[in-house]
Formats: sequence, structure tokens, C-alpha cells
Amino acid sequence: MTNKIHDAFDQIQASEEIKSSTMQFLQTQREKRHPHPTRFVWRNAAAVFLAIFVLILGAGGYYTIKIPVSYVSIDVNPSLELALNRFDRVVSATAYNEDGESILNCVKVKGESYQNAIDTLVESEALQPYLTENSMLTFTVAANDPEKANTILNAIENCASCQNHQGRGYTADVTSIAKAHECGMSFGKYKAYLILSEYDNNVTTEECRNMSMAELHHQIQERKHKHEQEHEHE
Amino acid sequence: MRSEQETNRAIALYSDMIRHICLYHLKSIEDTEDVFQNVFLKYLLYDGTFMNADHEKAWFIRVTINACKDFLKSLFRHKTVPLETLTEEAAHIDPDHREVLEAILSLPAKYKDVIYLYYYEGYSAAEIAAIMKSKENTIYSLLSRGRSILKEKLGGDEFDK
Repeated sequence: MTNKIHDAFDQIQASEEIKSSTMQFLQTQREKRHPHPTRFVWRNAAAVFLAIFVLILGAGGYYTIKIPVSYVSIDVNPSLELALNRFDRVVSATAYNEDGESILNCVKVKGESYQNAIDTLVESEALQPYLTENSMLTFTVAANDPEKANTILNAIENCASCQNHQGRGYTADVTSIAKAHECGMSFGKYKAYLILSEYDNNVTTEECRNMSMAELHHQIQERKHKHEQEHEHE
Repeated sequence: MRSEQETNRAIALYSDMIRHICLYHLKSIEDTEDVFQNVFLKYLLYDGTFMNADHEKAWFIRVTINACKDFLKSLFRHKTVPLETLTEEAAHIDPDHREVLEAILSLPAKYKDVIYLYYYEGYSAAEIAAIMKSKENTIYSLLSRGRSILKEKLGGDEFDK
């Protein structure tokens, strides 16, 4: 079959006509893009001044638009983090495991409000296989301003997608984000690890990294129950 | 902006490949010329550097595929009747080759690039995945399904591998 397809396509060639018309077309384009020299100098100067002006104006805008000030970690089995600017819009979406990567390969949320982004992600076809009866959808919010974190969390808990899938909301310390990433986890999963480690100081980040949120939650409940029982008898 | 020498070299090197991709995506001769010019204009204006010949070729493949897709969505498509089969331009092709080309033209769009790049350009699934910014497993699935469809249309054992 390799020979058949190869031989068949070998019968098709670009005509000399199309090649020469393309060369002529490109030559016309070159000439269009090289205006008269004296006019070019003035236009160039105007362009430089405009560029400087836009750069100065843009620098302040860049800070406002691009720099994240709050974060949402979405964890089921896929682990994703959204970074939000001061206008509550997504400036970046990052996956912290392969399942998360497969979601972000299909779903683009950059530039969206966090509510739209969460609805889009949670209701996407890509995430549906992970939202089973036994799974646990969690949203963890961290922000430089704790009041902001609570506002975002309340809004997420009232989102249709959160309610439809019994999502749970938590807040986390923004200072935990860097540590979570060092351990190769989203900060939402890292928070769950921290809670589990309060009841079992033998648990490691490596073990938790590969668990789903439902598994982590189950482990927490088990260890917590055992811990309470042990302390009852003291 | 690239020199006349560079663009002429590229036209000589990649015209046939671009023609092939346009054939199975566009079907209309006039649209092919538009996409052709569009692709080489992008090359003329592209100010990046290619690491090597393979990198440059992969760039042309990606740009051509994207240009075809954009063109199909565009309102400025020529309103000529689309060619469901190869016509005068391919009239010199013998029936066996024509049958193979028509089978490929009739494939759903998502299989065409993968089949062409694998069986004509000789790329591996991993290389196709890199060119098309897709997952290798996805490419394997598309190849497998594309092969099955071609086998149904053309018969024979050759499509088992």
C-alpha cells in the first residue's frame, strides 16, 4: 500500500504555471513592502515614537492584566490550576498530572472569567469520564487578599457546575503554592496531603501525588477516625 | 523578509508537497492557487530561523494544512463547483492511481493528513504527532481507522500495515 499511495501522489505535481504565478505574486509583495526611501524615514520615526508611547502605556496595563493575584485549584483525578488577574480573568491554566494535561489539550480557558472557565472545564466532554459517582470534585482557592479568596470561593460554590457535581470548596494559604509545585502537585491536592499528614506523619507527597481526591478524602476520613478513637482511650 | 533566491528555492523544493496537501483538502484548482500564494507569502514574511531542512519542511506542512482549513472556512472561497473527483488536471493519471487518489480524497478530513504524511512523506507516527501538535496515540488511532476505510474502498492486503 505504501507503494500505491506513493505512486499515486507522484502523478500529481505543481504546474510550472502555478510556480511562476507564485514567484510573480511574491515579487509584487516585496515591492509593496519597500516604500520610497525618504517617506520611509519619516514613517519610521513616527512608528518609533508611537511604539515608545504604547510601551509606556502598556507596561502599567501589563501589570494589571497579566500578573496573577489569585489562584483556583481544580482537582478530581485531573489536577489543574487557574491563575487569575485582578479582574478575575484566567491568565494561565496549568495541569499537574497527565489527566489534567489531557483536559487542557482539549479545553482552552485563558482570558475567561473564572466562573466561565470553571463551567467550561467541569462541563467539558474531556472531564466527564472522571466525574463518576465515587469521584470527588474539589476547588481550592488561594489569594494574596484573604477576603478575595473567600469571595471567589463563595462564587465557585454557587456555580452550576460545582453544584451539579457536588463540588467541595476550600481555601488555602497562598504561601503553600510554591511548596506544592516543588512536590509536583497542585496546591489543592497539596492541601489534602497536609490534612492527611496531620493524622499520619508517615504519608509522603509521592504517595499522595498519584491518588485521586476521592482516595485522599477516604484516607483522611479513615486516619481521622482512627486518630479520634485512639485519643478517646487516652 | 526572505530574498528572491530563498523563496525560489522553497518553491522548487516544496511545491509538489503543497500541491498534494491542497489536492486532498481543497479539491478546487482556483483555491489551490490562493492557498499556494498564501503559504509562500507567509514564508516570505516569516522571520524565524529553521534549525534544519526537516524543521523547515515540517513548518511548510503545518502552514499549508492550516491555510487549507482556514480557506475552507473563509467566505472568499471561489464559488466554483467543488470537484468530487479528479478532473482535467489529473486526466493523465492511469485508472489505478486515480482510484487510490479518489479513495484518499473521499476520506473524512481528519484521516487525510495522517495518511498522506505517513505513506507518502514517510514520517513516523511520533513525527506526525509533533508536526500536527497532537498525541502519538491519537495519530496511531487515526492511521488505523484511515487504513481500515481505505481497505474497505480499495480492498487488498496492503492496508493491513
